[in-house]
Amino acid sequence: MLWLCIASPVQEKHALKALAGWAGQFSSCVCLDAERWLLWLEIGSSLRYFGGLKVLLEKVTGGLNALALTTTTGVAPTREAAALLARRPQAPPVVQLDHLQQAIAALPLNELALPPAAIAGLQASGITRIGELLALPRDALARRWGLQMTDYLQRLLGERADPRKPYRAPHTYHRRFDFVEPVQTVEGLLFPLRRILYELQGYLRGRDAALQALDVALRHHDHADTVLTLRTTDPQRDALRLFALLREKLERTQLPGGVMQIKLGVERFVALRDTQLHLWDETERHDASWSDLLDKLRARLGDQAVRRLGLRDDHRPEKAWCVESGAAAAALPPAFPDRPLWLLPPRPIERLPKLLGTPERIEAGWWNDEDSSRDYYIAQTAEGSRWWLYREAATARWFLQGIWA
Amino acid sequence: MPLPSLIPRSRTQAPLLWEIPGIWRAHELAAVKARSTGHMALDALLPGGGWPIGALTELIPLIEGIGEVALLQMSLKRLCDEKRHIVFVHPPYIPYAPALLSAGLLLPRVLWIDAAHDEDAHWAAEQTLREGAAGAVLLWSHAVADRPLRRLQLAAEAGESLAFIYRPVVTLNSASPAALRIVLRPAPAALGVEVLKVRGGRGGAVVLPVQAHV
Repeated sequence: MLWLCIASPVQEKHALKALAGWAGQFSSCVCLDAERWLLWLEIGSSLRYFGGLKVLLEKVTGGLNALALTTTTGVAPTREAAALLARRPQAPPVVQLDHLQQAIAALPLNELALPPAAIAGLQASGITRIGELLALPRDALARRWGLQMTDYLQRLLGERADPRKPYRAPHTYHRRFDFVEPVQTVEGLLFPLRRILYELQGYLRGRDAALQALDVALRHHDHADTVLTLRTTDPQRDALRLFALLREKLERTQLPGGVMQIKLGVERFVALRDTQLHLWDETERHDASWSDLLDKLRARLGDQAVRRLGLRDDHRPEKAWCVESGAAAAALPPAFPDRPLWLLPPRPIERLPKLLGTPERIEAGWWNDEDSSRDYYIAQTAEGSRWWLYREAATARWFLQGIWA
Repeated sequence: MPLPSLIPRSRTQAPLLWEIPGIWRAHELAAVKARSTGHMALDALLPGGGWPIGALTELIPLIEGIGEVALLQMSLKRLCDEKRHIVFVHPPYIPYAPALLSAGLLLPRVLWIDAAHDEDAHWAAEQTLREGAAGAVLLWSHAVADRPLRRLQLAAEAGESLAFIYRPVVTLNSASPAALRIVLRPAPAALGVEVLKVRGGRGGAVVLPVQAHV
């Protein structure tokens, strides 16, 4: 076992749990102590995966920097020793249990997690270094300071097991951030949002999952919440990409007032698609950048503005198409007559242009009171445009419904 | 077996010129990347033999409804067959799904971007071109100034798409940064295509038998 201890610089329970969720990307066993604001990651089993202790420590430090947290870490074979080292920025990692006693012997006694009364009592008897305490006979210590002290020392040195329940991240992700002062501009929201997205990225890596929808609620003092939902075409978990999309969306959002709190939630998780990992194939590369593009377009223009088209089984031309949300393939019935590229909402015309060819009779809708019988013609205007017209049988009025572009 | 010569064989007119290595005729100067328009007569007018790839093509129809989009049908269909996407940005009317299908454009490959303003439309076209993920981008623009076009031209250069911009007739007399500029005019059962300007070519005019569907 090898433990990495992070002393949380933010002493707030939500923040500590969020940090534990983030840390799940480095270890399958994360424990936390909400009284001492400590977080432990068992990294012994992760070393191989990350390519050694040095690389892993760099990744953890880099990740903490991205979260804008300044903190130090400690690495030791026992949890208590790791906690001890986490308070010493310069302390080198201790990997082997044999080296542990020697490594902590010179540290001041008051850094041990012992009751202040015990520390004071020991110091009064002239003991100032941890090494001096460890040299004393344990049964004497137990008699004078109780079993708690010897139990702690045994856990510190790895002579006794130190069980602690690992932290289990919840199945949905919810994170909030409260502002001290209401934030008036979108710019002011970006910093905490980016931080949260980095946390989320760690959480997603830990769960080996990705997301396709992200809910953001901005709480105002005296207005209803501003609620945004970011949807992505492909499963995503890259913090910077999500941040760019969210930023695009936020910058086009009118804030009704100052923001007191940001809430960010993910209800559903999906597997990260392989295409993002195999970018060498040309078609897949196009597909991957295609879905990035769709996300970017939707974030700025809105979901409704980016459309796919589909067919509908209806004889009436204006109902024979639809905006399609999925991407199902569609086929026309055989021998389908030609149709113009542009469809217009029918508009009455006054001067009838030259009609070409024979009419196409379209009858539909009689079963639901929208009785319509129309004769469709291709027409050519004096200027040379080709129009798609129809004559409504019931009223004998002419309408323009399409243009052959 | 003798290797085929890399220099074109002598032709009857100017044998000496063809024999000298390192002499290029003007229109061979830059290898223009292009895709066939599907119309031989038009391909012959364009350097590279088709619509330029990674450059802006400006189309100015004198009036709508003359086959101004049908002109592109064959190259768009071929892109669809290659599983590339066709993006309609800010078209003047609803692109009618049955017409797209009968022109051979598979609906899942077609994207219709509706934008509230010309500015958003230009932005969307620019992003799409820059990303290079689409096979072709067709933008209907109202912009008269040439600045937004310059941005589009740069975006087109960054990607590998065909980039078409439809512009109103009023822009006919203003300068344009587009690599290719074409005026489209009605003709009886056909489409008049006049190449106003083409980078690395001479221009000219052809009448194409563009049919009425797409």
